[in-house]
Amino acid sequence: MTSVAVEARRPRRSAPAKSLAFVRRHLLTLWSVLFFGYLVLPIAVVAVFSFNAPKGRFNFQWEHFTFSNWTHWNAIPGIQSAVQLSLEIAVIASILATALGTLMALALVRYGFRGRGTTNFVVFLPLSTPEIVLGASLLTLFLNFSTPLGFKTILIAHVMFCVSFAVVTVKARLVGFDRHLEEAAMDLGANEWTTFQKVTLPLIAPAILAALLLCFAISIDDFVVTYFVAGSRVTFPIFVWGAARVATPPQINVIGIAFFVIAVTAMLGNVFVQNYRAKQA
Amino acid sequence: MGVFRLFHRHQGATPYLLLTPGLLWLGLFFLAPLGFLIYQSLESGSIVAGFGFHFSWQWSNYWDALKGYTGEFERSFEYAGLATIIALVVSYPVAYWIAFRGGRWKNLLLLFIVAPFFVTYLIRTLAWQTILADHGVVVRILIDLHLVAHGGRVLATGTAVIAGITYNFLPFMALPVYVSLEQIDQTLVEAAEDLYANKWLAFLRVTFPLSLPGVVAGTLLTFIPAAGDFINATLLGSPTSHMIGNVINSKFNGTIDYPSAAAMSFILMAVILGLVLLYARAVGTEKLTG
Amino acid sequence: MTDQITRKVFLRRAAAGGSILTVPGLLAACGGGSSGPSTAGGSTVPHKLAKTLHFSNWTLYIDKKGNAHPSLDQFKKKYGVTVDYTEDINDNESFFSKIEPNLQRGQSTGRDLIVMTDNSRYPALLVQKGWVEKLDKSAMPNFKNLIPQQRHPSWDPNRDYSLPWQSGFTGIGWNEKLTDPITSMGDLLGNKKLKGKVGLLTEFSDTLALVMGYNGDDPSHITDKTFNKAIDTIQKAVHSGQIRQFYGNDYASALANGDLTATMAWSGDIVQLQADNSHLKWQQPDTGGDIWTDNMLIPKGGNVYTASVYMNFVYDPKIAAEIEDYVNYVCPVLGAKEALLKQDPAIAKNTLIFPTKQELDSAHTIDPAALNNEKYQTTWQNLISA
Repeated sequence: MTSVAVEARRPRRSAPAKSLAFVRRHLLTLWSVLFFGYLVLPIAVVAVFSFNAPKGRFNFQWEHFTFSNWTHWNAIPGIQSAVQLSLEIAVIASILATALGTLMALALVRYGFRGRGTTNFVVFLPLSTPEIVLGASLLTLFLNFSTPLGFKTILIAHVMFCVSFAVVTVKARLVGFDRHLEEAAMDLGANEWTTFQKVTLPLIAPAILAALLLCFAISIDDFVVTYFVAGSRVTFPIFVWGAARVATPPQINVIGIAFFVIAVTAMLGNVFVQNYRAKQA
Repeated sequence: MGVFRLFHRHQGATPYLLLTPGLLWLGLFFLAPLGFLIYQSLESGSIVAGFGFHFSWQWSNYWDALKGYTGEFERSFEYAGLATIIALVVSYPVAYWIAFRGGRWKNLLLLFIVAPFFVTYLIRTLAWQTILADHGVVVRILIDLHLVAHGGRVLATGTAVIAGITYNFLPFMALPVYVSLEQIDQTLVEAAEDLYANKWLAFLRVTFPLSLPGVVAGTLLTFIPAAGDFINATLLGSPTSHMIGNVINSKFNGTIDYPSAAAMSFILMAVILGLVLLYARAVGTEKLTG
Repeated sequence: MTDQITRKVFLRRAAAGGSILTVPGLLAACGGGSSGPSTAGGSTVPHKLAKTLHFSNWTLYIDKKGNAHPSLDQFKKKYGVTVDYTEDINDNESFFSKIEPNLQRGQSTGRDLIVMTDNSRYPALLVQKGWVEKLDKSAMPNFKNLIPQQRHPSWDPNRDYSLPWQSGFTGIGWNEKLTDPITSMGDLLGNKKLKGKVGLLTEFSDTLALVMGYNGDDPSHITDKTFNKAIDTIQKAVHSGQIRQFYGNDYASALANGDLTATMAWSGDIVQLQADNSHLKWQQPDTGGDIWTDNMLIPKGGNVYTASVYMNFVYDPKIAAEIEDYVNYVCPVLGAKEALLKQDPAIAKNTLIFPTKQELDSAHTIDPAALNNEKYQTTWQNLISA
């Protein structure tokens, strides 16, 4: 099964073995290429059909090329407000969750305190709970307290399932963090707040940013939990769910691909900056 | 600024102050709801007999759920398990390839793994609907290869559901595996290859065990959401490939049978948690939660 | 008031009401009748229109031109009321579960007008629970344009709470490129050539009515025996792999793209779907289809006057014809056929929209008591979700 993973690092044996190693090496590459093809295939389909001009309600038969779905991305009633709601929720939820998560991560990594194990467990638990259970239990809570479902309940839910991801992300960075820098700053007379601002924060800033982006991505893509607690509000994934049953306007593809392009651009930028810095260093 | 006294252990209140907001949120909106879910799962009542559900220690909700939906429960874990294994087999070599051969392209390749998942989950799954359509190219090729019977189909089968789940949770597998492979000290691998004189053996004895934390994390991150999923079964499956998520969803968001839906949710969660703990013990990864 | 109606009384009433529609009457539905322009009603109470009317409807169930809804624009022009039109009803059940928590607590659902089908239990339930507002008939002079056969449904005998939006048939739709005509339920459920390419509907009444007709039983008087027989028939088809999936609205895409060769389908859908796939055909099965009506209702907390004015507006035959021209279902408004003949004679001649007497005669209606039978509903739910 994983035979393709067999590694021939520095082949220095007989010629046939060498060529076998060569083939094997390329098998691994071939496998990876196929893998990426598989990953990209559905995205390519979505992208191509975002330029289609379907005859009827459904967008699965290629008719002819058009830009109008892109120029009239919000031409489908309800799609614009759905995208707006999704963005609003994602921005607020990712900021809140990252703030809460960063504080928790600091406490968990920096301190030994009673209840640390329990806290770790509580943070881990949402990650090991299927979304449908998260959604169902929140709905039960809201129903019990007669909380009207809507923006607030969606926000509450999104912050809840993002917090643990934020904690994990920031914690990973903090663990490998060189404490001496802070101690040096303190020795130089900086107080704790200044040290945190000037030393700690800049050092964990990439992790905070990563947590923000992760939370944003998780929030904007969430369907299951949101579906339970949204009431009559419609986020973009809920819009897609409703639309998919009766008609699939190409504008759905346009929004999907737009999210994709924006995310990829942001990440590419990040990769280049990192590579550039690595080169400088 | 007591909150920021970060540099001394045992600072008394400080860690608790840092934890309070987050824990409060999780307590109020994660733990408390679970409590309500359990409470609700023991209620009785129905839509026709009036809407008020009332608490009555209705344990039968649990037995009825297990008895009436054995198939869906089994299918959930079967599909999730298979999808997890396939995802591991598919993505391990790629993670390996990136970690050891990626060179300066590592970050870019990782980006390629993550990028497709910025297209909304539902849209991705709908795209598979188009790709796997009965009269589509993919199915025609599979039929030509005799992998699918003539006039057969992929869509609306368990296979399509498993394939969909596998695809949708792939990065959750690939990324942790990559991270743990990437951390392996190269000299160790080289030493092992010298020692065993067989790359395969070296891989089995050294590299793979060292990547185990990533494999464990990856399998959990894939299996857990997969077991509760109902999107793939709805969009790519048929009534004979529905999972327990489908039933829970239809009882919560359809028939308003909250008590039995709550019981099923709780069973699902308990089984998953049990499996996770068992698994963690089996692979000996104590640091799972840390 | 409704609190005093016990369930038993309600059920008895419902049963006494008998079938919801008398069939031949529908034939006259859109023909004849008063087609003169409606004059303003005798409303003496000073009513005030809201700025916005929140209207939840099923998808693709109103006239559309580009991305606008002309009839809604006309309404705004005439009354200055913007209609916040949301297509968020995919099936009766899940929509009801969305609004139920609010209704139960006496909170507003945020909607002034909703549309639910009488072959589900929900319209009756809403009336019984007192969760819908009484129509303001003083604002509805066009109420007289309601076809007589629709005036006294068992669950709302005087139409105090509801007004029909559209009626429709459930039958069999098929793709003529992939199969010979499928006109019997026996063929649909048993023809080996269709294996895995057949869809049934998740709506209890639709599927049950057609299957019972096929079994030779009467869907308007369901007994345990006939019910179980129907469930057996369906189960057999599911287990043999004949059935691909139980569908709500979503059968449409599968039928249009060829994943389904034949499926239970709603009449008006097929007309619309022919734009996607010109090979689609529809017919009632030889053992009878099913007829139902979607009803406008004002959920508690909705703006009664504004909603009533809107209902009155769509009961103007001209407006009704405009909507009909797009949605292609069976319209409950007298005089709409004449209006439509002027606008779009081709549509007016389509028998899916203005059905023949034979089609009307062979349509079944479902036993209302069965809708509220908890045991039946549970069995059904288990069948379609398992």
